[in-house]
Amino acid sequence: MGRVKIAKKSTFIDMTAMSDVTVLLLTFFMLTSTFLSKEPATVITPPSVSTEKVQETNYVQVLVNPEGKIWLTMNNDTSSNWSNEKMRMALLDKVSEIYNEQHKNKPVNFTPEQKYAFSKLGAFGVPLSQMGEFLNLANQPEGQTKMDKWLEGDDGNPAHITGIPVTWNQNEQQPNEFQMWMKALRQTENTNLADKIKDGSGVAIKADQNTSFETIHMVMDNLQTIHMNKFTLLTALKGAEE
Amino acid sequence: MAEVQQQDTGGKKKGHQKKMQIRVDFTPMVDMNMLLITFFMLCTTMIKSQTLTIALPSNEKVQNEENMSQASADDAVTIILDAKRKTGSLDVDTVNGAVVPVVYYYFGKPGGDAGLGTTPESVAANNNLQESEFLANDEKTGKSRGIREIIQQRNKEVLTEINKLKEKYANGGFGSLETKEGREKAQAAYDEAASKIRKDENLKKPVIIIKSTPQASFGSLVSVLDEMQINSISKYQIDNMTKTDSVMVIDYQNRHHK
Repeated sequence: MGRVKIAKKSTFIDMTAMSDVTVLLLTFFMLTSTFLSKEPATVITPPSVSTEKVQETNYVQVLVNPEGKIWLTMNNDTSSNWSNEKMRMALLDKVSEIYNEQHKNKPVNFTPEQKYAFSKLGAFGVPLSQMGEFLNLANQPEGQTKMDKWLEGDDGNPAHITGIPVTWNQNEQQPNEFQMWMKALRQTENTNLADKIKDGSGVAIKADQNTSFETIHMVMDNLQTIHMNKFTLLTALKGAEE
Repeated sequence: MAEVQQQDTGGKKKGHQKKMQIRVDFTPMVDMNMLLITFFMLCTTMIKSQTLTIALPSNEKVQNEENMSQASADDAVTIILDAKRKTGSLDVDTVNGAVVPVVYYYFGKPGGDAGLGTTPESVAANNNLQESEFLANDEKTGKSRGIREIIQQRNKEVLTEINKLKEKYANGGFGSLETKEGREKAQAAYDEAASKIRKDENLKKPVIIIKSTPQASFGSLVSVLDEMQINSISKYQIDNMTKTDSVMVIDYQNRHHK
């Protein structure tokens, strides 16, 4: 009986082409990706037919969670001489100046280390009276995690308040802390950002679709009081319909 | 491809060339790339948020009532946003964790020409509040429904003109749509003509006043602003609820949502 001879074939698969493709894809994703920044609260924005895209740079985002807590994020266009870090440092100086004018007996002052820590923050939002303590965490081991936990409101310390304090206030002379921050942002020396804030496209309110109107109204009313009558609401895209 | 052919010359046996093949195995490389791609794919955000620009009036009290632009009662449409309530209570009800919007509207003055009156009986008799909902166009007929239909009926004159423009645009009346440049030009011309129509004083158009109860959701506010855009409403404003409005809403709820 003659046996069928099985030809010996190499099982080696040439992976070069595959490697080429994956490298191309990788390059594409690396170049196009913008990273999701970590936010203290997860919100689902309401759907809308508006097709206007959000600004990529030069805007301040006001994040409002359903309980009415507020955090700020700012994004700068780094092409000018204002880097994000420099911008935040200047902002902290400005806001503490406004705060100290009103709270003469309880002023806040920040050390250079604290200012440096602030310049590295993403989203921020703690009462100014606790800001120093919050920024000190940055130099501790695992400081970043502790700060994130504080902002999310589950660091287990009931004394730590997250969110910028905000109340109904129509008295422009006695701004609450949220209004102080917005005022400080408007007075920035970075003209690119200041222009955008002025024409309304630089202030974006990001809120959950289930947030009550009362909460949103309070935020809008606060902005109206300090004469910021134009701003944008962040929405998600809904299928176009006419 | 991944092989390198090497010629070994100068071996011991002269005239006999020894062929050596060097193969580089790319499999681990591909593995690593795939992992990196997965990482970048998961971390990246491709979808950019949309924005809705709104301009609110200044908060400063208008001292002189006459200075306020009063909408004539004929044109005024008041829309009141609310959320679905639990039966027999003022608490907000949710379905699958989402607040269900309810929208009320009335034309002209609260209570109509007769006015609302002060007694519960006269309020019930003259309450001209009606209920509607946010609905997309009917899928089969393409007809508008819910609050959109009501707004469209009030804004008929403007919308007829806008539809004529749309037809003109589609037929190339604003310039050829063949090239990209042409399309941009035509779009700009169309936008200008459309904004002229929206502002045309000779056309009868409604003035919409948007009010909201504190419990209504942010989502419904965005929905109603969307309707303004869809229906080419040029005059609308966000206003505070008055006592009369609350009386009407509570009266309506008492009679219809027991």
